[in-house]
Amino acid sequence: MFGLIGHLTSLDHAQAVARDLGYPEYADQGLDFWCSAPPQIVDNIKVTSATGQIIEGRYVESCFLPEMLAARRIKTAARKVVNAMAHAQKNGIDITALGGFSSIIFENFNLSQMRQVRNVSLEFERFTTGNTHTAYIICRQVEAAAAKLDINLSTATVAVCGATGDIGSAVCRWLTARTDIQELLLVARNQERLQSLQAELGRGTIADSLEAAVAQADIVVWVASMPKGVNIDSEILKRPCLMIDGGYPKNLDSHFNAEGVYVLKGGIVEHSLDIDWRIMNIVNMDVPARQLFACFAEAMLLEFEKWYTNFSWGRNQITLEKMDMIGQSSVRHGFRPLLQLNSPSLVSEGS
Amino acid sequence: MQQLDITPALDYQSESYKDAYSRINAIVIEGEQEAFDNYYKLAELLPDAKDDLLRLAKMEKRHMKGFQACGKNLSVIADMEFAQAFFEQLHDNFKQAWDEGKIVTCLLIQSLIIETFAISAYNIYIPVADDFARKITEGVVKDEYMHLNFGEEWLKANFEASKTELEEANRQNLPIVWAMLNQVADDANVLGMEKEALVEDFMITYGEALGNIGFSSREVMKLSAQGLATV
Repeated sequence: MFGLIGHLTSLDHAQAVARDLGYPEYADQGLDFWCSAPPQIVDNIKVTSATGQIIEGRYVESCFLPEMLAARRIKTAARKVVNAMAHAQKNGIDITALGGFSSIIFENFNLSQMRQVRNVSLEFERFTTGNTHTAYIICRQVEAAAAKLDINLSTATVAVCGATGDIGSAVCRWLTARTDIQELLLVARNQERLQSLQAELGRGTIADSLEAAVAQADIVVWVASMPKGVNIDSEILKRPCLMIDGGYPKNLDSHFNAEGVYVLKGGIVEHSLDIDWRIMNIVNMDVPARQLFACFAEAMLLEFEKWYTNFSWGRNQITLEKMDMIGQSSVRHGFRPLLQLNSPSLVSEGS
Repeated sequence: MQQLDITPALDYQSESYKDAYSRINAIVIEGEQEAFDNYYKLAELLPDAKDDLLRLAKMEKRHMKGFQACGKNLSVIADMEFAQAFFEQLHDNFKQAWDEGKIVTCLLIQSLIIETFAISAYNIYIPVADDFARKITEGVVKDEYMHLNFGEEWLKANFEASKTELEEANRQNLPIVWAMLNQVADDANVLGMEKEALVEDFMITYGEALGNIGFSSREVMKLSAQGLATV
């Protein structure tokens, strides 16, 4: 059985979902209540592969909210993640994806030191960040969406925002090795890490600022971990400009109506068959029975393949070989990258 | 990288620590005493499980002595008067249920609520305890899971007949737990134990117990949050 650990994008979102699901005692509560709320299994999932194989899974809501990080409640955020992991393990789930901020919190706050959670000793081989599949899907989205928009990669500048993160660095590796893009702009906060990434890649330009990079780019890949999105003035963008937003919550807070600016939800896959679940309605996927986060799909792929291992783990460990491996599995079982441009954003404000 | 400060530095010999410890230590000692008394009484109501219950009662007595030693180790005199008042409402509710022969309510108060309260407090205390108390508490918490399991198994075997009474007893007693937690939140904080972590741990363990007994996930979410919003 596979598992997905997820969370909602804001307190407003959490309250609305609790109301929709019929939990008024959770819906009317503020952040303090969510800080004390326990993890819950709120969905049972059945997925059929393109090969006909059927697997079952569980969705574990961690009750983490990005506001906890914004309010510097780091210990709370850490507890949410390890408690959800312990809950998944206690429920006998073989391989669970750490969705959204869960893997970032695990990695940034070194939660591997919190192995003992009450009477459960966490077995990390039962968990995956899902980042290898996410990085693979984003790379395929860059290639396919660029072709769709007649953006020639060999003359294109690609900016990666969040380049030094686990997903960002993998995307940079792929773009360097597997495409002939003209220029790669590396955007991140930590200069030391940027320099070390540049040295590893043997190419790429460290951007002076986010705005400068975005203004120069034909394609912008957004994979930064930010509790809230940023605003970008469409006036500064090139035309055409393809923005692939892989953040959750999304990195881009702007809604672009400008001609020639195209936004694609990054790291999202479409399955070729309907999935029996409710949870993707909650994050406002356009086709909730078929569209899902690629990191969640990675747990499904590992279950289909019976690769019970923490396939994606640690920071900056994603190799091209592993991206190929998960990519081939993704195709085999009927997943494909989302390519629908300018669709409504996931989870509208105040929804 | 931001650092997660899991074990803040505590001065176990400071006056403020010892003052807070005098009440928290007393609550723990009184809690174990209550548990001893309650299992002894339950043994009268459940003759088939008499031997098991007397065994559990004896373990609680041993825990109580362990925690008395923890206080002594820090040269703290436990404020037992405070602790008896702290448990008064749960104590009275258990006594009333026992007088009326309501086994299900008695088990909910002792085996689920008091045991879960103890487990969550001990789990949150262990990482911030002094070395002496940590060793004792680690041993105790293992036993408490076993005690919780006794209540779970009995209620699971009698789930259909117990369900309505469990819901009523939960409605009556769970809000008391939140009030108790609030009452000691400041003292617990001095010991490095955060209220939100205590509430969360309680809800996790209590929710798991209700799930094991036979309640659905939806029922568990409603039952374990009962009365929390008003605190």
